[in-house]
Amino acid sequence: MTDVKSDKSNKSASGWSRRDVLKASSVGAAGAAAPMFFTKNAWADGHESIGNYPVKGSEVVFGFNVPQTGAYADEGADELRAYKLAVKHLNNGGGMLDTLKPSMLSGNGVLGKKVAYVTGDTQTNADASRTSARRMIERDKVIMVTGGSSSGIAIAQQYLCNELGIIFMCGLTHSNDTTGKDKQRYGFRHFFNAHMTGKALAPVLSKEYGKDRRAFHLTADYSWGHTQQQSMQEFTEKEGWGTAGNIMTPLKTTDFSQYLAQVMNSDADVLVLNHYGANMVNSLTNAVNFGMRDMQKNGKNLEIVVPLYSRLMAKGAGSANIDGVLGTSGWNWALQDAGSQVFVDAFVAEYGFPPSQAAHTCYVQTLLYANACEMAGSFYPPAVIKALEDFEFDGAGNGSTLYRGADHQCIKSMLVMKGKSPSARSSDFDYLEVVQEVDRATANYDPSIFPGELGPYKPA
Amino acid sequence: MKMQQGFFERNRSVFIFALIALTMPFWFPLIGGYSGLDTKIMVFCIFVVGFDLLLGYTGYLSFGHAAFFGIAAYTTGLMLKGFSDNIIPAIIVAVIVSTLVSVVIGLLTLKRTGIYFSILTLAFAEMFHSMAMAMLQQWTGGENGLTGMPTPMLFSIKMQGDAVFYFITFVAILMFYVAKRIERSPVGLMMRAIKCNQTRLEYTGINARKYKLLTFVISAAYAALAGALMVVYEPFVGHEFLGWHQSGEIVIMSVIGGVGTLVGPMLGAAFMLYFENVLSVDLGEQWLLVLGMIFMVVVIFMPGGFMEAVSRLQARFTQK
Amino acid sequence: MFDLSTNALFMMLLTGLQMGSIYVLIALGLTLIFGTLGVVNFAHGALYLVAIYLAVSINDAMGFGFALILVPAILFVLGVAMERGLIQYFYNRPHTDQILVTFGLAIVIQEVLKWFFGANNIPFAIPSWGNGIIMMHEWFPFLEGFVVYPKWRLILVVVSIITVAAVFALLHLTTFGLVIRAGMRDPEMLQFLGVNINRRFMIVFGLGSLIAGVAGVFGGPVTQVSPEVGMHLLVPSFLVVVIGGMGSLSGAVLAGVLIGMAQSFTAHDINLSTIIVYLITVIVLLVRPRGLLGAKGVFE
Repeated sequence: MTDVKSDKSNKSASGWSRRDVLKASSVGAAGAAAPMFFTKNAWADGHESIGNYPVKGSEVVFGFNVPQTGAYADEGADELRAYKLAVKHLNNGGGMLDTLKPSMLSGNGVLGKKVAYVTGDTQTNADASRTSARRMIERDKVIMVTGGSSSGIAIAQQYLCNELGIIFMCGLTHSNDTTGKDKQRYGFRHFFNAHMTGKALAPVLSKEYGKDRRAFHLTADYSWGHTQQQSMQEFTEKEGWGTAGNIMTPLKTTDFSQYLAQVMNSDADVLVLNHYGANMVNSLTNAVNFGMRDMQKNGKNLEIVVPLYSRLMAKGAGSANIDGVLGTSGWNWALQDAGSQVFVDAFVAEYGFPPSQAAHTCYVQTLLYANACEMAGSFYPPAVIKALEDFEFDGAGNGSTLYRGADHQCIKSMLVMKGKSPSARSSDFDYLEVVQEVDRATANYDPSIFPGELGPYKPA
Repeated sequence: MKMQQGFFERNRSVFIFALIALTMPFWFPLIGGYSGLDTKIMVFCIFVVGFDLLLGYTGYLSFGHAAFFGIAAYTTGLMLKGFSDNIIPAIIVAVIVSTLVSVVIGLLTLKRTGIYFSILTLAFAEMFHSMAMAMLQQWTGGENGLTGMPTPMLFSIKMQGDAVFYFITFVAILMFYVAKRIERSPVGLMMRAIKCNQTRLEYTGINARKYKLLTFVISAAYAALAGALMVVYEPFVGHEFLGWHQSGEIVIMSVIGGVGTLVGPMLGAAFMLYFENVLSVDLGEQWLLVLGMIFMVVVIFMPGGFMEAVSRLQARFTQK
Repeated sequence: MFDLSTNALFMMLLTGLQMGSIYVLIALGLTLIFGTLGVVNFAHGALYLVAIYLAVSINDAMGFGFALILVPAILFVLGVAMERGLIQYFYNRPHTDQILVTFGLAIVIQEVLKWFFGANNIPFAIPSWGNGIIMMHEWFPFLEGFVVYPKWRLILVVVSIITVAAVFALLHLTTFGLVIRAGMRDPEMLQFLGVNINRRFMIVFGLGSLIAGVAGVFGGPVTQVSPEVGMHLLVPSFLVVVIGGMGSLSGAVLAGVLIGMAQSFTAHDINLSTIIVYLITVIVLLVRPRGLLGAKGVFE
């Protein structure tokens, strides 16, 4: 057994005691680290460096952080396809570069530099997404990060990018919080949100199903679910509907029978599924199995509503189940305007099948960022941010759009969709049909209804 | 007095570790690493070293240590947001809270051995995980995670970039040293005795439960410290910190590295994080599959992990 | 919001029974394997996963009848292969190693399936004879008004009951079963009596996998077919086994139904429903460590 002696006598042969070694190594380490504290603040262009600005070399690197594993891997794959297509068009012209107005994109890179990219895997998990975003920022020196399929992940990355001075162009995120209470100066969202869904969908619902309805909500227990449910309740009640109840369902649920039992026991005649992705696929399928599509309550047909639709979800649920179910989407490949068509054609030419709404928003976000850099004449983040704020544009699908400066949310048209019956489908990608295009004015709302501050232009 | 080795010889592994760790910012980028990842590796080194004291020395496989990691992380985050952006009070409170929780859980779970113990710890961890997602959403941020923390400060130094790396590395070196001391102490002897044959130990009149609880709490304290430091490095707490997948990752790290060697699990942690963040980019979507296969190969053929491979190689060469 | 009307209680009871059925089927295989071989099979969820993917593929290609026959058979073979190829080398290694290797196997199987089939959900169409709802109020006069339940879920309950009965019959009414039960009590003694324990082990593992196969064929449309389902069901199933008592088949059945009921009756309150399983596990393990019906001395 060794005894612990006092420090003074514990010197080894060379005359160094423990204390000396510790002191020396800490001084050495501090000395070695010193140079790094200084190089960060190199000046260029008259602007101080923020994030990975200034961009050195002949290339500028974008970071595409998408779910490559985990529950949303298929959607992430589609987003990645869109990103690669966007880079191809930025470097070579074509696609929406021909339709986007106003555009300063040359089709020959951005600000004289070719666009390169790196990819990361968010693993459909907020912590992993921050880790991979960090890697892209610190090692690969990306000037901008974009992507994601879930609001929790988008919000987590937004905070990170805001701290590090990197602009984050959101991918697919629908929660009000992303440009609501969690809005950030360095974060931008093009995709529509739950509030717009509620606003657009409720009138269509009351027209289809009547004003004398009672709705029961099943809500995924996380930020998006909550905001979606609140928005749906708010707007359906404005139409005169009653709300019979709301049950929170854990995210991990795959069997919803216990909740559906509660719904059937109530006096509700509309079931609102505030679910996305796997949750929606399971809850809708379960509901159909329970015969709820054919049920009658209060003398009316029981109806099911899925506020947020995506093609992947529709495919997962199967067309027999979504037949006639109403919901909303941000965009659909069947739209006939020039911007949408040019994008769809390019995507089909490249990959052989049409793009999803996730792909659309990611493609457009990439182009909008590049365009903003061109308009600002620099990659300096505060200048690019100002170029995006209150930017009015058109030709990117969805008609004329405003990138609102007050909350960094795009105000544009959106779609009310209906599931197609199996016999009406023309292909393996044709699950939903457009019932109504809701114009921008209807989708618009006052940004001050949500709390939250954007924060300063320069990171603290 | 026998075994009068000098301080350097006895703690050789600590010094080697210190040397490798402190110079990481220089050599790590050469193999594709980057400055956030080395800090994260150091945090997990602390986590696994403590975990190895439990798994490697007493032989108890806990699937619940993520609970202590997560509780400390959430506490640190809440302290930073609500109390002060100075990390010292935050870390102290977080470690104390998490350790107290571990005492309670330890008292309850250590009554059972083997598989029952593992399942109990898993049940507890998942319970906390569910609570963080549902019941305590107001505090934890639910699925979004805990965000919006101020920049952590060590008194007047901002905890970012290199400052936070060196701070955490020093703590890691210190904690490794402490673990080594524990290993060499009478407590360490008891731990190994428990793994060897607990019944026989109790027949000699020693209260094994006391030592089991002590080891459990120590390993939980390590996990808690790692959780607190994780938030200092990355001001974000995800609910995944509490789940059994997180615990599973720690187990994988320990096993791949070599259970019971203290150094092995740290190698395992470095390897797994490197793999997950650097190699995964080249492997694409299937990196988890490859990692799973590596893990299986290690468990089947080389249960001692990397350290076993190293000692086998050493034996090969010395035989020549 | 807890509704205590007869209708509500009846629905919750049925739902609990049906949810419990899946747990029972998976836990049955788990506890059979553990009780006989002493192996903790973390890959059991992955076996279920293989079963549902096979079932949906065969169902789409050849129809449900083929799936019903082929899937359990394929799973049996797979189980035997697993046992011969991997598990048998771990009998003498500590439980920790068994957990680890089967855990690793579970990850590998899950990732391979995801690679092959994609991460998205694959819809599992219920065969026409199983589709639709049963008018419960026609069968149970004490129910008021209109109460329905999906036919398929009731079929699932019936299938579980049949499976449980079949397993019990096998174990208690056949010589083979006798040998297995003896092996569960004392494998060494059995070997001394000249019984080829290896063959028995192999068959039991195959049997456990076969039960998972049955669970997959009937449970697939209920739990849906996607890569996370395996792990998602494994943890509660494990807890069911532990609550019921490891190695006790009747315990697995009892605990499975209990957990199913607990989840069903707490559905209205998310705070409770998410932690109820763990609470019950902790309480049972602390008060009665061998589980509700477990044999004394087994890994206490």
